[in-house]
Amino acid sequence: MSARLPSVLWLTLVWVLLWGTFTPVSVVGGVLVAVLVTALFRLPPAIDRLPVRPLRLLTLLLFLLWDLVVSGAEVSWQVLRRGPRARGAIMAVPLISSSDLVVTVMANAISLSPGTMALQIDHAHDVWYVYALGPRDHAGVERARRRVVDMQRRVLAALGSPDEHAEAERLLGRMS
Amino acid sequence: MILDAMSAVLLLLGALSCVLGGLGLVRLPDLPSRMQAATKPQTLGLLLILAGTALRVELESAVTLLLVGLFQVITAPVIAQLLGRSAYRGGSVSPELLVVDELAGKMPEERSS
Repeated sequence: MSARLPSVLWLTLVWVLLWGTFTPVSVVGGVLVAVLVTALFRLPPAIDRLPVRPLRLLTLLLFLLWDLVVSGAEVSWQVLRRGPRARGAIMAVPLISSSDLVVTVMANAISLSPGTMALQIDHAHDVWYVYALGPRDHAGVERARRRVVDMQRRVLAALGSPDEHAEAERLLGRMS
Repeated sequence: MILDAMSAVLLLLGALSCVLGGLGLVRLPDLPSRMQAATKPQTLGLLLILAGTALRVELESAVTLLLVGLFQVITAPVIAQLLGRSAYRGGSVSPELLVVDELAGKMPEERSS
């Protein structure tokens, strides 16, 4: 039960927000629904305990928000400037984290950042394949690849182990 | 008054971003690039419109708008990835539109994941 407490709280919060009213009825109703849902649809327990650095996490969130603005502008530019002549690239990028949760956050972050989305994740070889819109030559591909590694570094700074963060720094250093 | 102006600017910027996203769906050449247009300017546009609306409604409704934005940001990338992957597997990503394709020949065979 105690393991399910965070999801019960979260679901209750969503329920209350969806109703838009903070009344005893909506809260009790939310708790009832949340307990029922977590009992019926059990999630596999997340085994990995991650170090969470709140301040870094906030920085990451702000960066993601900014990245989304840049992303929207950049994709719009491609639409207006290149249109049907737009080119893309699918590149292999080293996957630094082994934690499922961190990889999920990374994939989400990559898909929000300028012109890129995760296509395929190959856990066995620690590689993922990322599609990028915009590169027109190999220099452009390398720039996009560097961006993906940099995003991994930012996510690892907020959530990952220090080792993995150091590895991302090393990788980034090698690429510049 | 200032609030009204801010709200108007946000709403207009959001609408512009959505229009550009829609234009991208028509103008861009293949599925993965169109996915970019459907996820980036569209998400940005929605968030801007939500922010613009939030300035003008009561706090309780504004919190619900926050939830809308949150779900959009969480779900759009997941759908983009699933669609992109299926498109690649189904062969609707044209190689001549790619500068490089490092996934070529490396897509694992059918595997439930």
